[in-house]
Amino acid sequence: MTAAWHADLQMLSAYADGGLDDVRASSIEAHLLSCETCRDLLAPAVPAATIDRVWQGVVIATVAPHAGIVERVLLRAGVRDDIARLLAATPSLRVSWFLAESLALGFAAFAANVAPGGGADAALFLFLVIAALAPVAGVAAAFGPGLDPTYEIGIAAPMRNERLLLMRTLAVLATSLAIAGLAAIALPGFDRAAIAWLLPSLGLCLTTVTLATWIRPVVAAIVVAMTWLAVAASVTAARSDPVAAFRSGGQVLALALIVISALVLSRRRVVYEGGVAA
Amino acid sequence: MTVRADGDEALLRAVAQGDREALEALYRRHAPWLMVRLSRRCSDPGLVEEVVQDTFVAVWRGAGRYRGTGEVPAWIWGIGIRRLIDRLRRSPAAVMREVPHDEVSISAEDQVLLGVEHGDLGTALGRLSPELRAVVQATVLDGLTTKEAATLLGIPQGTVKTRAARARRELREALA
Repeated sequence: MTAAWHADLQMLSAYADGGLDDVRASSIEAHLLSCETCRDLLAPAVPAATIDRVWQGVVIATVAPHAGIVERVLLRAGVRDDIARLLAATPSLRVSWFLAESLALGFAAFAANVAPGGGADAALFLFLVIAALAPVAGVAAAFGPGLDPTYEIGIAAPMRNERLLLMRTLAVLATSLAIAGLAAIALPGFDRAAIAWLLPSLGLCLTTVTLATWIRPVVAAIVVAMTWLAVAASVTAARSDPVAAFRSGGQVLALALIVISALVLSRRRVVYEGGVAA
Repeated sequence: MTVRADGDEALLRAVAQGDREALEALYRRHAPWLMVRLSRRCSDPGLVEEVVQDTFVAVWRGAGRYRGTGEVPAWIWGIGIRRLIDRLRRSPAAVMREVPHDEVSISAEDQVLLGVEHGDLGTALGRLSPELRAVVQATVLDGLTTKEAATLLGIPQGTVKTRAARARRELREALA
């Protein structure tokens, strides 16, 4: 660094005001890169208030966590940034969750395709049961203490918990159902059986959310899942038909479950305002 | 205000370790000249402030990528000018500063200073038309690619190339 030459104050202030001609401005710019003395002389040309204001911006931008892929997709889709962050914090709206559901359903669909005879029936049963349960697990993990990193913040936030719960449940349902729907296309002999899990799944989800007004969401989901597995397995075994639990009787029952849960939930929703049962 | 006597490279190493105070020291030291230099290339003060903020956020995240080659100010400038071009690409409506057409008369004293720094080159550059000089400034002095210079100056890439060629020819003749 040769510090023999320095820009004088007059020249620097002319440069800062934008008045200096291009050639001398370029000369100063080249010099500034290697001369601390002249940089310090130039610094007062920028108001301290501006420097402080931009620094605050830097602090905020570096403290805020990086937006994850889910949040970026939501923002790109035009979702408001505060809602995007609340949604992206949902444990069951993470890429790892999507992968887990895709893998479980993918393997079941694959097995239904390649397994011989009775094995294929078992795989089909497995697929339908998992497809119906995946959204239940997702909804249970979408809110409540322990799993949701923003749970305590959520309760204290000036936003109705009911609304957050509804938003997250819908978002989880949409993604879970989309994944299950895509996996169903891979089932052999794609027919009504491939979407037979839809109504039962919705019924189980609503039942879980309703039960969660009394007990922890995860416990509610486990109770619902166990009951569902027991019923589905026993019906299937009794009729020796892999999709027995998903025929019209099962569908009507699922519909009834949806209606009853919705009615109970609309009466009990006030419970969510104080945080779910812990 | 943080006062740290450490050199730029030491500060940058500290920033890479997550030292926020080092980032502030670096910012206090380098934000002012960066802001002035960017202001000469973009006449929207709000945009310049955003670019300075972006630059130091990028320094915070990318301090580990500084390889110790070249001066830290030049590294910061490289980030700053590219952030500015990114912003301009997204909102081309942002007005470019008009190249001043009326020459500021150069005093004899300044002429001498200029001679010390650049020799005949300064005079030769001064004779270029403002359009050609802007291209030389963007490509040679700011070290931008043709594409980046085109975005910064708001002209097509082809025009940057022809102007650069013409400027080279004129400079060669003037210095011959």
